[in-house]
Amino acid sequence: MYGGGYIYDDPNRSRQQEEQLVDDPVKLAAFEARITRGEKIEPGDWMPAEYRRQLIRLIEQHAHSEVIGALPEGTWITRAPGFKRKLALIAKVQDEIGHGQLLYNAAETLGKSREAMINDLLSGKSKYSNVFNYPAETWADVTVIGFLIDAAAIVNQVANSKGSYGPYCRALERICYEESFHLKQGHDAFIELATGTPAQKAILQDALNRWWQPIMHFFGPPDKVSSHSEKLMQWKVKMASNDDMRNQFLDAYVPKIWELGLTLPDPSLKKDKETGKWEYSDPDWELFFEVIKGNGPCNKERLNVRKWAEEHGRWIRKALMREDERARTALPVA
Amino acid sequence: MQLQQALPELLTKIADDELIIGHRNSEWTGLGPVMEEDIAFSSMAQDKIGHAWALYRILQEHFGGGDPDHFAFMRQAGEYKCCHFVELPIGSYEFSLMRHFLFDHAETVRYQSFAQSSFVPLQQLAGKIKGELKYHTLHADAWILQLCTAGEDSRQRMQHALDQCFQLAGGIFEPGAGEALLIAEKVYPGEEALCEQWLKNISHVIEKAGLRLPQMTTPVYGGRTGQHTQHLQQLLNEMGEVFRLDPEATW
Amino acid sequence: MNESLDPRVNRLRLNNSDGSFTIEEGENWNVFEVFHQEKRGAHHEHVGCVHAPDANLALIFAKEQFGRRKKCVNLWVVRSADILAFDLEDEDMFANNPDKTYRDASGFKVMEKINKFKAQSK
Repeated sequence: MYGGGYIYDDPNRSRQQEEQLVDDPVKLAAFEARITRGEKIEPGDWMPAEYRRQLIRLIEQHAHSEVIGALPEGTWITRAPGFKRKLALIAKVQDEIGHGQLLYNAAETLGKSREAMINDLLSGKSKYSNVFNYPAETWADVTVIGFLIDAAAIVNQVANSKGSYGPYCRALERICYEESFHLKQGHDAFIELATGTPAQKAILQDALNRWWQPIMHFFGPPDKVSSHSEKLMQWKVKMASNDDMRNQFLDAYVPKIWELGLTLPDPSLKKDKETGKWEYSDPDWELFFEVIKGNGPCNKERLNVRKWAEEHGRWIRKALMREDERARTALPVA
Repeated sequence: MQLQQALPELLTKIADDELIIGHRNSEWTGLGPVMEEDIAFSSMAQDKIGHAWALYRILQEHFGGGDPDHFAFMRQAGEYKCCHFVELPIGSYEFSLMRHFLFDHAETVRYQSFAQSSFVPLQQLAGKIKGELKYHTLHADAWILQLCTAGEDSRQRMQHALDQCFQLAGGIFEPGAGEALLIAEKVYPGEEALCEQWLKNISHVIEKAGLRLPQMTTPVYGGRTGQHTQHLQQLLNEMGEVFRLDPEATW
Repeated sequence: MNESLDPRVNRLRLNNSDGSFTIEEGENWNVFEVFHQEKRGAHHEHVGCVHAPDANLALIFAKEQFGRRKKCVNLWVVRSADILAFDLEDEDMFANNPDKTYRDASGFKVMEKINKFKAQSK
């Protein structure tokens, strides 16, 4: 799923982007020319230290979001109503783990091991998409996640798949291919409730009301307050601004919600016919930062569950670690 | 008992086994010991649930059974025919792996016998899922062999899991009332014959793995006649939770 | 412990893992590159990698991670450490030398010669 426009950075690091200026100017110029020509950067290539750091951060957080994103929906696997929904949901949650696997591999080509990334997730040092720190209370929540959060993720991922780092683009290409199934199954389950019995419509409307703010948070703070670096744009690490992605999402999906007779809990939400831009009330950005800090309704549970999984799998992983093989351990090369 | 009763009984117990173990194993999705295994185990859980679905459809089509979704998710616990082995919670990964090994070898033997069944729908289903089962046992055997030859601690864990599972696994082959008829009509060779073949197949792997195979002294029966562990009811409550909000609605 | 909304969390007491937990470097084993063959007769193409303790399990993992959706008839796995590749700096070795037209079909002007011959024979 789920990159989200917002990639958390350690506040102490935010001023250090100047670092790249100490890179070898000849190599830097060749690197930047390559990106300008639309060529991809590959694992063994020379790259500025800041480019490597930013990419690891971006891909790693994306990977964590997939693995943690498997939890709120995984909750509903045993409860999914009927064979078709059940099998689709298991396959979808399985895909999220599969996406995490692809993304960790892509990040590993930059030199950080999967183990180090998992440890940073468990310790809270590295973040994942905020949207998974909210509970999936009813079956309708599953359909809202499957439809709208996957849709938002696709907007983000399609943008990122045009970035400059080869392994990340290749992983995203496969991920986007699978996301089209996610979106379709999510939309289908969403429509089933929206066009169903009064009770079904009611739980869907309720879920939509609860999820709207986290969805508006999904792409990160507005451009006017979010300090996104021009360098990251020039290097094709960040491919679109938060507001642009949010607008693209609203443009494609709000009509699909309204056409089913559902409402959204924001009276100001409307499209400006002249500018083509959507207007909306600002979601609570203080809450957004509170949740990132670990104070959302499910932060603790999500990490505890992940820790449980790592703890219980440990003996199996350790039993099959072979000393002679370990000496030859290598990171992915492609 | 007539074939029109004996056949649905056979189909129901196999389907119920697969439905329940598929649900149990799907609980590992997102919690596996390593991502690659998480994905593989989840695929096999999906396969199991898919097999159950296919069998309920045969029941519906050939024996006037109910809608597969209602039949699978809305019955009372006493109406399920699954064995106790599949009902138990997922427990530790070694328990789940060992259950997967023992169950999937049993399933493979069963469907191999169905390949010659006089009941055509079963024969067709056996052909369709042959490749899936081949992967399941390949996966199970590889894990058993790897973990049992990776040092004394992990071999002991696996031995403990085998001891924990073995009598329960015997319940897969609990004899049924209509069996003599099913054998005579060449639907399948009966539970005793399947159990014998199963023991032969697993012994081969177990020996290679250096595990001790217990004697099948007290196989845990009861599931086929509708007696179950407390765990089944708990799982059924979950499985039907959304459905029961409005059984007439489509979801 | 708070009751979770997730029945699985409550049943397995998954929410009890307080305190820190770290995994060891190498716990996710070695990396194997995976090559996927879409149909018989086609090349095996690189599609990604899996972490596995040995090639045997790598193949078993690759089957589900890379063969569960798209059409696939066979897979290869090879340890990433065993892959040898050129450096980016060596890219110039691959540059096409425009003088080496003798390697290209376009380097041979057959029609020109035929036409010239025909024109002369008239």
